[in-house]
Amino acid sequence: MSSKSPPIVNYIVRRLIFLVFSLFLASISLFVLLRILPGDPANALLSVGATPEQIAAAQHKVGSDLPLLQQFGKWIGQLLSFQMGDSLISNAPVGREILSRLSVTVPLTLTAFAIAVALAIPFGFIAAYKAKTWYGSILNSVSQLGMAVPVFWVGVILVFVFALRLRVLPAGGFPPGGWGDLAGAIRALSLPVITIVLVMSASLIRYVRSATLDVLNSDYLRTSRALGSSFMEAMWRHGLRNAASPVISILGIELATTFVGAVVVESVFALPGLGSFLVRGISQHDYPVVQGVLFISTLAVLTIGFLADLIQRFIDPRLSRSLTGQIS
Amino acid sequence: MMNKNRKHLGHLALALTLALGLAACSSSSTSSTAVASSTDATINIGSLYEPQNLDNTGGGGQGVTEALNGNVYEGLFSLADSGKVENLLATDTKISADGLTYTFTIRDNVKFHSGKALTSADVKYSIEKVTAEKSQSARKSSFAMIKSIATPDDKTVVVTLSSKSISFVYNLSYIWVINSSAADITATEDGTGPYALTDWKRGSTLTLTRFDGYWGTPAKNKVVVFHYFTDATALNNALLTNAVDVVTSEQSPDALAQFKNASYKINNGQSTTKLLLVFNDRVKPFNNSLVRKAITSAIDNKKLLASIWGEYGTLIGSMVPPTDPWYEDLTKVNPYDLTLAKKELTEAGYPNGFTFSLDTPNYDPHPAAAAFIKSELAKVGITVNVNIITADQWYNNVYKKLDYTATMQEHVNDRDVVWYGNPDFYWGYKNAQVTSLINQAEQSDTVQAQADLLKQANQIIVAEAASDWLYLYPQIVVASSSLSGYPVNGLNSQFFAFNITKK
Amino acid sequence: MTQQTRRYPLPLLVGLVLISIIFIMAVLSIFWLPYQLGDTSGSRLGAPSLHHWFGTDKLGRDLLSRIMIGARIAFEVGLLSVAIGAFLGVLLGLGAGFAQRWMDESFSALLDILIAFPTLLLAMLIVATRGASLTSAIVAIGLGMSAIIARLTRLLVKRVLTQDYITASRASGTSWPRVIVVHILPNIWPTLIVIFALQFGLAGLTEASLSYLGLGSPPPNASWGSLLQEAQATVLTAPIAAIVPGLLLIALVIGMNMIADGLREVADPTMRRSR
Repeated sequence: MSSKSPPIVNYIVRRLIFLVFSLFLASISLFVLLRILPGDPANALLSVGATPEQIAAAQHKVGSDLPLLQQFGKWIGQLLSFQMGDSLISNAPVGREILSRLSVTVPLTLTAFAIAVALAIPFGFIAAYKAKTWYGSILNSVSQLGMAVPVFWVGVILVFVFALRLRVLPAGGFPPGGWGDLAGAIRALSLPVITIVLVMSASLIRYVRSATLDVLNSDYLRTSRALGSSFMEAMWRHGLRNAASPVISILGIELATTFVGAVVVESVFALPGLGSFLVRGISQHDYPVVQGVLFISTLAVLTIGFLADLIQRFIDPRLSRSLTGQIS
Repeated sequence: MMNKNRKHLGHLALALTLALGLAACSSSSTSSTAVASSTDATINIGSLYEPQNLDNTGGGGQGVTEALNGNVYEGLFSLADSGKVENLLATDTKISADGLTYTFTIRDNVKFHSGKALTSADVKYSIEKVTAEKSQSARKSSFAMIKSIATPDDKTVVVTLSSKSISFVYNLSYIWVINSSAADITATEDGTGPYALTDWKRGSTLTLTRFDGYWGTPAKNKVVVFHYFTDATALNNALLTNAVDVVTSEQSPDALAQFKNASYKINNGQSTTKLLLVFNDRVKPFNNSLVRKAITSAIDNKKLLASIWGEYGTLIGSMVPPTDPWYEDLTKVNPYDLTLAKKELTEAGYPNGFTFSLDTPNYDPHPAAAAFIKSELAKVGITVNVNIITADQWYNNVYKKLDYTATMQEHVNDRDVVWYGNPDFYWGYKNAQVTSLINQAEQSDTVQAQADLLKQANQIIVAEAASDWLYLYPQIVVASSSLSGYPVNGLNSQFFAFNITKK
Repeated sequence: MTQQTRRYPLPLLVGLVLISIIFIMAVLSIFWLPYQLGDTSGSRLGAPSLHHWFGTDKLGRDLLSRIMIGARIAFEVGLLSVAIGAFLGVLLGLGAGFAQRWMDESFSALLDILIAFPTLLLAMLIVATRGASLTSAIVAIGLGMSAIIARLTRLLVKRVLTQDYITASRASGTSWPRVIVVHILPNIWPTLIVIFALQFGLAGLTEASLSYLGLGSPPPNASWGSLLQEAQATVLTAPIAAIVPGLLLIALVIGMNMIADGLREVADPTMRRSR
């Protein structure tokens, strides 16, 4: 590593290498763990009355009669050529199916996340700044409540109220025309988004509140004010950057959590997203599907973490100095 | 900064409300609003059974029959909702005197969706696809007697059998006639039916559109969309909110209460799905028919049925459902009678009962039924260890390895009492007389003779309590009251959509 | 701040009350239930009555009994997964806390990845390999938790290691194992206990989600998540079954959170609130 290249580049390169390495590790673990499973995916193709020849034929088609190492080799080969194999049950290419499912899960996750963050920042700030008032306490309690609620339960209650009783929004499903039917798609995603927002914003409010409280009580803020800056100036120059850092590091994880919330919510609202694909793949032992989805999720989670980390290093004044590679 | 925050918040809230309001007001494409004419309606069908793939010889599952049988693909014959076999693509059938040669005349002017004309070569191809070595069709074994298929000309198919088969024509109603030059029918189709497949979004919807080149009466609606759900509640919610117009098979009896009003019609039709308590007739103590009879008499099936299906469902005393031609009511042969049960147990040598393990699939209704059986058998001193297993484990351990004492399973097909004639079938029932009767039945010359022989066989099977046939599932189709012309009997999972009209 | 002294008894008390109710249900269910698990004698979907305080489910089983069993399962899941998470996490965290330079770097990066990987997905993966069961769920949740605990332990250990009394103790000849037991662990314990309490509640939520998706313990298990999944079908006609388990889950998490808050105040009132 030449000392001429700036530390930031070194850092990025190292993190990238690590990212690829982790992905590889993840693939191996995924593959191995799935193969230890004592079930046979061929069973999903059979029905009662299947003759022994039919059973053998199903196993051959599915490839569960190939030696393990060979199966693994196939999988890695496919990954390297950006493919994910075909579903054992439906023969449809997994990669293509995942892409089409992403068109439901990604908008759901990102919209819910964006709204949750947009709500959490002001509310979290108020909850901290006005912590001693009655409405500050209420905000705090409400956010505690939001974090304790199971996300699917919220979904069930919302379906009950808005879909079944009031009939203003659909109880589930996604229009057959997909995003081509824009109004239908927005309606179909409304309740799911609201469900996730209610739960995610609660936990985000907690983080923002806690980070803000730390800053409000911090020495440099007090010092800055003592030295004559107004509250606003002090907050802006010191407070925000310092408060943002822990929040951003948590944002990465929270985005991953939002994705998980989407997986569960898809089940409540019968949405054809990545989550329902995964759940079905698991119950049918459709290895390529499970591998494919989990691989994509791991990729997403690791990349988000990588990006969040990078942003954090830029923003946080304490950390940006330590980009020589030492952990703070 | 606080005020600015609040203002932004207010704007955001306003924007959200507007967006929601707009979306809610905009055309709800799923409700049945005014259509051009009543024969151009879009019918939305809700189902739990999504096809795995579109090839019914490639393990497509129950869903592929439901969506495509009769709608997209047709056979030489069709099985009507009433259970009658009718000519469809075959206009005439001649059977030779020895019953071994069948000559079918193929209908004229039939086109596949791709435009190609139907010829006898396609029929030969379709039958061979089912009997092929790689075929995963559940019907494959019923065609084992086909020796050869010849196509002397474009409109004639001659099938030669190695032994007589009275059910041959009936079984042919399950074979799809596929275009022999169709490439891959796991994801596409090329059939002759009144609809063509226009779209399939896995995990979501399957869309059929009326085929203008259809040889017969055009379908009474223009578009049919099957909406697939994995959860019965989500399916019912869709019906409640009019996202779908009809549910093909209601599996959740408690949910029916919310449909008992003027907007919906609950239809109680015939099904062929039976819930069985299966004994491994090869192993102790179930190799003794007295023990099996005792257990059958110790379980109050009526109470079990009521606890799971309420007022719906039927009690059966055997594997034969009321829609099979050889049905007779044999529920009194092993009646619910605790005294009788105890007597039979003592005679069999188990006066103090015994213990056995019951391998129970983990999906509804098996665990509940198993729990019920456990408490019932406790009353005669029999201890049941309920062992919950997955569908997968069932296939591996019970079906393939035969490593079980007793298990539970639902059997969906009609006319499946013939499996008792196969001593290698997973329940291991071996009775030479029954096997011989069943083989003879298949070789009979008339349907009446077949029915008589099968009745005889069935009587023996029931007298020996080869299995315990707990109850017959109801076939409940729930539809919006504006819908008519939909099938109400669930004969082998078919759901013909071409007669459905919407007011 | 004067409010601090009045604040710590209250949340701790409320939390203790909530958790005690659930705990009593759980413990009681081991010895006595109003109705046994397989008892289907009640009417289907019966309304609450004297015989069945919460009514019955679609098979005639008493809901109160099923809820009590659910309480027991919630505690099983919480205790066992925290046990696994704590054991593995503290061990790994201790190791990482002592590690230097590149080993430390790799450790902490690995931990970050494990933490970022959502527990529910990890649980789904383990269920995919071992089949759905309560054990799979517990193992998965425990593993996910161990990463979080390991990271925290590592931080705490590093902080303690810089203290003077450690250097003094080592200088006077104390062996490392003794230092760990006598100085390090007692110092990090209060903070760890707080995290354990928080994770207990979260474990319950994750298990509920798994059961709801059908990937938790198979039927006739009476985890609250499964109860909610079953109750969905009849939410219009029998809403109690869809409401009570949800409320109890909330009570469990909030109760544990409050206990955690209370513990935090009690154990180390001078420590800055961080999270």
